[in-house]
Parts: sequence; structure tokens; C-alpha cells
Amino acid sequence: MLRYIIKRVSAMLLTLLIIATITFFLMKLLPGSPFNNQEKLSESQRYALNEKYGLNDPVPVQYINYLGKLAQGDLGYTFQFDGRTVNSLIANGMGPSATIGFEALLFGTLVGLVLGIAAALKHNTFIDYGAMVMAVFGIAIPSFVFAGLLQYYVGVKLGWLPVAFWNGPEYHIMPAFSLSVGVIATVARFMRTEMLEILGTDYILMARSKGISKQAVIIKHCVRNSMIPIVTILGPMAIGLITGSLVIENIFAIPGIGEQFVKSINLNDYPVIMGTTLFYSFLIILIILVVDILYGIIDPRIRVAGGKS
Amino acid sequence: MSMSERKLTPDLFRPANIDTAKGEEITKPSLSFWQDAIRRLKKNKAAMLGLFAIVFIIVFSLIAPSLSKYGMDDQELMRANLPPKIPGLEKIGFLGVNGVDIRGVNQYEMKNVPAEDEFWFGTDVLGRDQWVRVWKGTQISLYIAFLAATIDLIVGVVYGGISAFYGGKVDNAMQRVVEVLYGIPNLVVIILFIIILDPGILSITLALVITGWIGMSRIVRAQILSLKNREFVLASKTLGSTNGRLISKHLLPNTLGAIIVTSTFTIPGAIFFEAFLSFIGLGIQPPTASLGALIADGFRSLRIYPHLAIYPASIMCILMISFNLLGDGLRDALDPKMRR
Repeated sequence: MLRYIIKRVSAMLLTLLIIATITFFLMKLLPGSPFNNQEKLSESQRYALNEKYGLNDPVPVQYINYLGKLAQGDLGYTFQFDGRTVNSLIANGMGPSATIGFEALLFGTLVGLVLGIAAALKHNTFIDYGAMVMAVFGIAIPSFVFAGLLQYYVGVKLGWLPVAFWNGPEYHIMPAFSLSVGVIATVARFMRTEMLEILGTDYILMARSKGISKQAVIIKHCVRNSMIPIVTILGPMAIGLITGSLVIENIFAIPGIGEQFVKSINLNDYPVIMGTTLFYSFLIILIILVVDILYGIIDPRIRVAGGKS
Repeated sequence: MSMSERKLTPDLFRPANIDTAKGEEITKPSLSFWQDAIRRLKKNKAAMLGLFAIVFIIVFSLIAPSLSKYGMDDQELMRANLPPKIPGLEKIGFLGVNGVDIRGVNQYEMKNVPAEDEFWFGTDVLGRDQWVRVWKGTQISLYIAFLAATIDLIVGVVYGGISAFYGGKVDNAMQRVVEVLYGIPNLVVIILFIIILDPGILSITLALVITGWIGMSRIVRAQILSLKNREFVLASKTLGSTNGRLISKHLLPNTLGAIIVTSTFTIPGAIFFEAFLSFIGLGIQPPTASLGALIADGFRSLRIYPHLAIYPASIMCILMISFNLLGDGLRDALDPKMRR
């Protein structure tokens, strides 16, 4: 197990190093420097600024310094505001982004589980078909289309919920719900398949024939065993939530990382684009790693199979 | 009971005429795997509906733009923001295609649009024909779908196939590359390309070329790894088959089901990826527009001109749902074990 974790962590660090290296040299390839367009600077002022930010050093030295700063978690300065670091921008956006992602994950998983279990227990009835039609729609309809329609009908036409911004609990409902649609659909489909498979196994029949009540069998045997493999879809789901949050935050004007990211792209604020990109990559790779290790602990068969291939 | 009283005499019985050859006879024509799969697919109504919708959208996106006399970027501010108007359907009020906007004003009369001018999906802020723009945008989505499937089929299958078939050091080296690429999120790759090139169809294409095939290569590799050690392959090898024959006659045909199913699920993913990028402004740039960009533009004026967002959004949804339904149907048809 330890060897497996070490192998995975080193692969993760290598991936991050490659991303950081590509990022750095792309930044160097871009024409101009941050201080070029400020005409009023004299030659010596520009030199002093370049010296301050280490831009007079040869490129390999800059690269080493960049990696050193990165290792300490320092992502550099933004062009948008004077003297603010990319770290502070990300830290500011972290709150709303994490809140909304967590709410969507929690709500989506709960509703998805209930739908999936109901569909499996009422197999081939209209509950089953209804849940699966909903799941197909949830997977197929892009989250930004759904969010836009929700905003229009619930926010504007009915006026039940605030259309946008981030000022209190009622502002969370629509964005979190639009973000959770994909989660609901994925979890529901997955749970249904797993439940159907387990409902047909011999040990369920055995438990029933021993006289355990139907509810107890379903809760203690079926649901608990179906939940184990759900860990495998957590990784892709988390990636989906991060990508989804980019658009959802923009549609609902939530001051999160995603909104800042899109704003920076439109303003060509390269340090923020690069910093956020690295941050997202780190997050995604970390989630995949944690999920894989977690799954190895829960179900040792995966680890053996994974180690062989 | 009269039945029980009746005597059963031997002359009531006749020896059964057992024809051993007849028992072996196959009454139904035997179906090959593919005939059987097609039969199963045809029985799946949802999948056939999806297939029909996809064919319909493909055909329409090709012929529809030529039905209008205006081009993709023919601007005319005099006819900006016209609501949709379809001749023949004007009388049916609830369809909302009579040229009257949400305030009940007939914009066509107000703006003195010549009577022969009818914009079936209305016009946008710059007076461009939305009908042409929507279908041209659909073409871009379909191009992405086609591209994703091609990359999957060519790069993914070949890469996964070589990696699994040759095994050993080759496999090891190739899998390290995949491991690193798999860790890099799609979004990062596209942003890197946008910084080097410019946002647009070329960046998206390149990003898909670099990252799109990885899922497929992993599936093909796993399939071929397990097939490689099966008895029928060993038997064929013993009889002196060349590698080429092994691949083309035994390994590929047995992997084809998984390949088809995987690529039908890659397609909606790629379409969504492009629409998503265009929606946040990283994708297709004006004056060209993809469905994602049109939806983004439409949402800005959803309250006043709902027609700008509704048509591209509906086509986008229909396309995505159709590909998903077809993918589900194909999976059920080609691999009944994977049935969900």
C-alpha cells in the first residue's frame, strides 16, 4: 500500500512539474513585459522594477526561482490591481466557490441516492422510467442552459428567488441547484445499476430467507454495499463541479474563483490565468489521487488489479 | 370419472417417429453478432429516436443556411432584433412565430421590413439572420463531434492497441505518457493553446487532439490485454497467423463494440466542451458563432428577446440528448452485460 501511494504521489508531482514548466516557458514566450506599456517609466525605473521582480536574471535562474516560489505556494502578482497577489485573489474567491461546490455535491448526492434507490426498488415501473428519463436529461442538458432557464423562470418571471449575487442563504439555492443537476443524474444512474445488481445476488436472498425484514435487508445490505463503488465516480464528478462552477459563477455573478478566472481571461491577466490554472490542476490531481487511494483502502481488489496493469 | 374407467390398450399407442437429424435442425436463420446487435438497437425506441434526430439535425444544418438569402454576417441595423416569423404558421398564436414581440408589437410592420423578408428564427442585435447563424453554429458543434470521434478512432485505438499488443517495455513507456497526460485537465490544455494561438476553432481542435483520445486508448488497451491471452488467439497463433492477421481478424473485431460505445459517449462530451468554452468566451470568436456562443449572447437579452436564446439552446439540448440516447442504446445492443 505504501509503495502504491509513493508511486502515485511521485506521478502527481511529475505531472504538476510538467504543467508548471510549460506554463512558465509560455509566459516567457509572450511578447512584452508587465512594465512595457507604462510610458512614463524612465530607463532606470524600469530597471529597478525588473530587478525587484527578478526579471533581469537569466531565464534558467528565473525558472528555478519560479519553481522555488511555487513550491512555497506563491503564485505571483496580478496585473489587475496594484500589489495584490494571485494567492489573495484565489483566497478571496475560495469561500463562495467551495461553499457552492460543497452544497451542490451534498444536495446532488442525497437526491441522486434517493432517486437511484427508488428506481431500483421499483424496477420497470413508472418511477424507474421517470427517474431514468430525468437522469438522461440531467446528463445531457448543459448546466449553463439549465442555469439560464432557471434564472429566467424562477428568478425573473416568478420572482421567488434573487436572480444573482451573493448576499445570503437564499442566494445559494439556484446556483447550487443548477450545479447539482449533473451530480444528481450521475449518482442516480450509478446507484440504480449497483442496486439492481446487488438485489439479484444470493446473499440478499439468503438474508431474506433467514427472516430479516425487507427494510433491514435493503438498508443494511443493499444500500451499504452499493455505496462502495460510488467512490469511483467522485473524481470525475468533482472535475465536473469545478468546470461547472466556472459558468455557474458567471451566470449568477458569484464572486468565486471561477468568476475571477473568466474575468482574467478576458483581461489577459496572465499571472492570474496561470496561477488559477495551476491551482485547478493541483486540485483535480489531488482529488483523483485521494479517490484512488481511498478506493484502494476500501476495496483491496482494485489495488491488486491496478498494480498489475 | 369416465376417463379413469377407460382401459388403455397398447393399440392406442404408436411409436414416436424420432428423426435425429430433425432435432439438430435450426429453425431460425442464425444471426451474426452484428445482425443481432442491429436487431436489438432497432427495438430500442429511444435510441432510434435519437438516431433519427441526429440525422435530421445533420441534414438540416447542411441545407438550412442556403434556404435564407442572407449570409452568416450580413448586418443591417434597420432590421435588428426582429422576432421570428414563419409564413404559414403565423395564425397559430402559441408558437410565437408571427413576428410579434413579447410586448405585442408587430416589429415587422413597425420597422417597415419588406413583406418578402421573413426571418424564421428572427434576427439578432446587429440584424443578422438568426436562422443562418443557428444552423451554421450547429455545423460547428457537429464538426467537433466528428473530430472527437475521428481522434478517438484513430489515435486512441491505435495507441491503446499498440500499447497492449506489444506489451512489456513499449507498454510501460506508453502508459507513463498517458499517466501524465491524464493528469492534465482539459481546461489547462485549451488555455495554454489560447495563449499561444488565439481563441478559436483551431485551439479547440488542437486541445481535443492532445487530450481527447486518452479515455479511448485506456479502454482499448484493457480490452486487448484481456483478449490477447484468450485461447482462440493462442490457437490462431499456433496455426501460424501473422501479427497483422491476429489484429485485423481477432483482436479488433472483438473490441469494436467497446470502441463504438466509447466514441458515442465521447461525442456529447466534446460538444459540451466546445459549447462551454464558447459560452465563457474562450471558444469560437465573432463573427462566426457556435451554439454555445449564440446561447451566451441570447442570455444577455433573455427578458426582451427570448427567441435569441431559445432556438440555439433547444437544438443544443436535442443534440446532446440524442447522442446520449443513441449511446445508451448502442451499449445495450452491443454489450448486453453492461446494460444499465
